[in-house]
Amino acid sequence: MKKIVVDGLKYKYPLSEALALQDISFEIEEGEFIGIIGKNSVGKSTLCQALVGLVPHFYKGAYGGKVLVDGLEVRNHSIADISRKVGMVFQNPFTQVTGSKMTVYEEIAFGLENSGLPREEMRQRIDEVLRLMRIEHVKDHSPFDLSGGQMQRMAIASIMAMKPDILVLDEPTSQLDPAGSEEVFQAIQDFSQQGITVIMAEHKMEKIAQYCNRVLLLHEGRLVDFDTAEKIFSREDLKDYGVTAPVYTRVCRALGVKKQGCDGYPVTLEDAELALRRSFA
Amino acid sequence: MHNIDPISKLYYILFAIIIPIILPSFIVSVICVALSVLLLLAAKVIRKTLPVYSFVFLVLITVIVIQGLFRPGNETILFHLGPFAMHKEGLLFALTIVLRVTNIVSAFMLLVLTTKPSDLVESLVRRGMSPRIGYVIVSVFQIIPEMMSTMSTIMDAQRSRGMETEGKLLVRMKAFIPLLAPVVLGSLINTKERAMALEVRGFNSRNPKTYLNEEKTYSYSKWIQVAMLLVTIFAVAWRVFL
Repeated sequence: MKKIVVDGLKYKYPLSEALALQDISFEIEEGEFIGIIGKNSVGKSTLCQALVGLVPHFYKGAYGGKVLVDGLEVRNHSIADISRKVGMVFQNPFTQVTGSKMTVYEEIAFGLENSGLPREEMRQRIDEVLRLMRIEHVKDHSPFDLSGGQMQRMAIASIMAMKPDILVLDEPTSQLDPAGSEEVFQAIQDFSQQGITVIMAEHKMEKIAQYCNRVLLLHEGRLVDFDTAEKIFSREDLKDYGVTAPVYTRVCRALGVKKQGCDGYPVTLEDAELALRRSFA
Repeated sequence: MHNIDPISKLYYILFAIIIPIILPSFIVSVICVALSVLLLLAAKVIRKTLPVYSFVFLVLITVIVIQGLFRPGNETILFHLGPFAMHKEGLLFALTIVLRVTNIVSAFMLLVLTTKPSDLVESLVRRGMSPRIGYVIVSVFQIIPEMMSTMSTIMDAQRSRGMETEGKLLVRMKAFIPLLAPVVLGSLINTKERAMALEVRGFNSRNPKTYLNEEKTYSYSKWIQVAMLLVTIFAVAWRVFL
């Protein structure tokens, strides 16, 4: 089933001359894990925000084309309605703290209170996401007293507790150390395996290659390519878009070792190891 | 005191303001002030009230002096302050003002010093106040300290690049100017991002809201409110019939 359909999306921020998104069209199936890549300020965040309705409802500005999430046309529904289907986690964890709650536990409850969930269900869901994001030990702390990484996990937990069908993440691991971001990716993958559709803008290409089913490459507001990680990272012109392939891909490309049974280079450690062992055996 | 419904405390403020208006006699005002002070004592917060009282009294002393010396209608001279004469009428009028102000300030402090702001706002939102206004009130208490700490970080950064931030008043004032742009712009950007984060968490949802915490049940709320209502009715009756 098509979960997200974007058709000819164009968008211009108010007060800006250039289009932030130019004629973008793609479709995403239910349960897919999609990575959005591209260098800074090519429209990754704008595209993420277009999926939850912040573009155009929050910013206003000129809007064209159509975005359908789970059958809802974003343009004709309020952000509050869309937020029941699509959750979004932003880059900066500090500004995602509501500032009206005294503890992490209450902070996570904020979205659930707004959607009118019964108390029992709320407690159950909060306990579950606290465990999943491994922040149970700080649940009674003030949200502002957390470290950057804990705050980021709290931000993800707050959205996950709302159980959206679609999860949009805009560089959710920017404040985390390697171990912390691995944990977050694992948790997001768990959600993905439960059938939640995940869309993530991210700069850590190794992680994108490891976890995503398909990768969407953006450049200057245009969609360049939308394909499997192998195909995208094997592109000859990747440098022109300011993107560096995962280190495994670069090694294999330098050695001229392709992945078995396909035309691209390996993108993950496992595939690279397999391909290299085979070719040097 | 800390376990009394914030709403009852709000009514108490109203009560403490209304009663001296209905019954404008010194004794009633004194009783009201004494009641508030007794309650503050019972709540064990009297020490925190001292800075507020001392500030208020500083202002009130000027009122007493000015009214005592210059109030139109001053006739009876009590004593002389150098070339000026202190008058009885002015002093009595000043005393009413002093009592009224002390009374209102005490009643407000009873609310402010014995209630967590979030508890007060939550009970108001439950009673139909807009959650947006509630959010603004509560978040101020958390976001202002955040802004202060951002400001000190920026100041440290500027100091580490050799800017003088300590010393004479002029130096300090000069150091303040380059702080404004990053702090103000930064908080505007933060506000935009925070607003988006609130939006995607359904802040503007039209669904009826639920609450994580059960509504606290306060003992005696009803009795306190009924008692205050009865006293008010009694005061009105007193005023009208006697």
